[in-house]
Amino acid sequence: MTFDSCNPQKNAPVLRAALKCGSLWLQDHLHAYMDQHLPGYFHQGLSGYSHRSLQNLQKNHSLWQDLSGSICKTASSFTTAGKTALLGLFLIVFVAVFAPLVTNFEPSAISGGSLEPPGPEHILGTDELGMDIWSGICYGARMSLIIGLAVALLSGVGGGVLGLLGGYMGGNWDKLLLRAIDITMALPSFPLLIVIAAFLNPSIVNVILVLVLLSWAKPARIVRSSALAMKKQHYIISARLNGASPAYVIRRHIMPEVLPLLFVSILNIASYAIVAESGLAFLGLGDPTSKSWGMMLHYSTSFRSIYFTPYWQWWLIPPLVALIFLLLCLAFIGRDMERVVDPRLRTGGRS
Amino acid sequence: MQYATVIFIILVLNFFLPRMMPGDPFLILSADTENEIVSVLTEEQREYFKSYYGLDRPLHEQFISYLGSLARGDLGNSIYYKVPVIEAIWLRLPWTALIVVGATVISAISGVLLGLFSARNREKAGDKFLLLGLISFAEIPSFLLGLIILLAFAVRLKIFPLAGAVTPFVHYSGPLDMALDVCYHAALPVITLALTQLTGIYLLVRNTLVTVMTKDYIRTARAKGIGDRLVWTRHALRNALLPVVTRVGFMVGMLMGGSVLVENVFSYPGVGSLLREAVVARDYPLIQGIMLIMAVSILSVNYLVDIIYEHLDPRVASYEAA
Repeated sequence: MTFDSCNPQKNAPVLRAALKCGSLWLQDHLHAYMDQHLPGYFHQGLSGYSHRSLQNLQKNHSLWQDLSGSICKTASSFTTAGKTALLGLFLIVFVAVFAPLVTNFEPSAISGGSLEPPGPEHILGTDELGMDIWSGICYGARMSLIIGLAVALLSGVGGGVLGLLGGYMGGNWDKLLLRAIDITMALPSFPLLIVIAAFLNPSIVNVILVLVLLSWAKPARIVRSSALAMKKQHYIISARLNGASPAYVIRRHIMPEVLPLLFVSILNIASYAIVAESGLAFLGLGDPTSKSWGMMLHYSTSFRSIYFTPYWQWWLIPPLVALIFLLLCLAFIGRDMERVVDPRLRTGGRS
Repeated sequence: MQYATVIFIILVLNFFLPRMMPGDPFLILSADTENEIVSVLTEEQREYFKSYYGLDRPLHEQFISYLGSLARGDLGNSIYYKVPVIEAIWLRLPWTALIVVGATVISAISGVLLGLFSARNREKAGDKFLLLGLISFAEIPSFLLGLIILLAFAVRLKIFPLAGAVTPFVHYSGPLDMALDVCYHAALPVITLALTQLTGIYLLVRNTLVTVMTKDYIRTARAKGIGDRLVWTRHALRNALLPVVTRVGFMVGMLMGGSVLVENVFSYPGVGSLLREAVVARDYPLIQGIMLIMAVSILSVNYLVDIIYEHLDPRVASYEAA
């Protein structure tokens, strides 16, 4: 057995063998060596020694702390456009959450005359039924945000878990998953969405479920391919040789690498879901009892000859601007996230 | 194989969705809402109607006869228009085809030209401006972009018409006159659709050109003393156009999806507006028929692109053979 004291990676099998055969002299030597080169090795129960997990253990961070820390770090490395977008998103979330405080009117209450222009009482005027438009914007933000968040989280987490299992376990399950991903990606999503929404009752839950079924494939594919690539990395192979359970390897080694990638695709799915929901509502397939920006667009564009009247200026423009603003915010955040996650974009510029 | 599975899934969905809806079509045959008289069928009558429409047979038999009628081109009858679904769609399809093809051609050509311009002026002001502008544009979904364009050009500036595909009640003096009128009405929807797809083509061409320009054969061409213009067009652009072919194919699919919403923004009488009318009237056979036609045409375009690409790029075929 050779012992190279400068290369801890290469020594791992030697160390392990030594520990197992119980040579006292070598063990003493090893303890000294490891205290010097691999502090914290023993606290891990000999199940892995990658640089990353050592650092994690030394700091004794929980996964959640790691996550929130890395989000803060990510946000601070954003460009100005990204920071502005983040601020814009917070603004929309604030308005949505505190809608009753931001506006004096109930969104579905008839609180004024029909089609009043913007004035001191109704900041953005009223629609044909006399409902306050600013209040509709505030409460409508909830719909877009809930749909975006729910679809993104469900399909991100669901697709991510499926992809992780497929990529990590391999075998028949992986083949099945790959087939399912291919088919889901080939489905023409928008026509399908319209038909399903037309036949099922277009409640929020149904819309969310259908959107999740149509959008889980992308995160699954991303996670699967990166899990597949990572499985062959040396530090993961050695962790497994050391007897780490699959759950441990996934939690400790694969999750931290995959999560940022997953986050970018979750952001993209969120804007896809928001566009799809408002598109459906614009076609008249939304939930008629709810307030959403798409429904506002639907009602205003269905108003007979609205373009020959001045009404479009305060009835059509506010939901239009709000939707575009929200989507641009998500897009800029997503682009900056991508730049942070993908080192090629960070160093080489966009080329 | 994959496409066949997808089509099968769509057919199954199409078949089961109406059957999954709550209720029974024969529970209440007619309800006069004004006098609130509901005529309820007797058990015997319901059985008769069920067997008449074949709804008492086992599901798999119903499914097979459904496939059979599809194969004969029978998509059922539209409840609202009182004509076969296929006829109603056929009347509107040319308009959709016109704007989709128009948008494909315009966005492909201008995307390639802009990409070429950007790659030649890389990292200069013009390139940076184009890049930022087009990327921001791409984030706005087609129907919102359409609304902005409509408000700007048709409502405020009054340069373009608000709605329709031809001027109503007009007599054309000749085919040229008619073509001009059609183009004039199609301009805004086509531009909207083209703008949503332009960025994809532009980025693709720009990035491929930047990569291609670092290749050895470009240096060889330059060393031979070939002029700058010729190097860019003959040697670089030709190689950069290959991925554009695939992109254009998949673009057609996306444009068909996008046209559903854009046609409604501009009240353009294509399949998309037909779909909205069908939705408003709850004309289920028509909704299903439109979905089926759209899905099948999107899938066949994608399939075609796969085949064409294999022929264009010998590397793909040899890779698959190996």
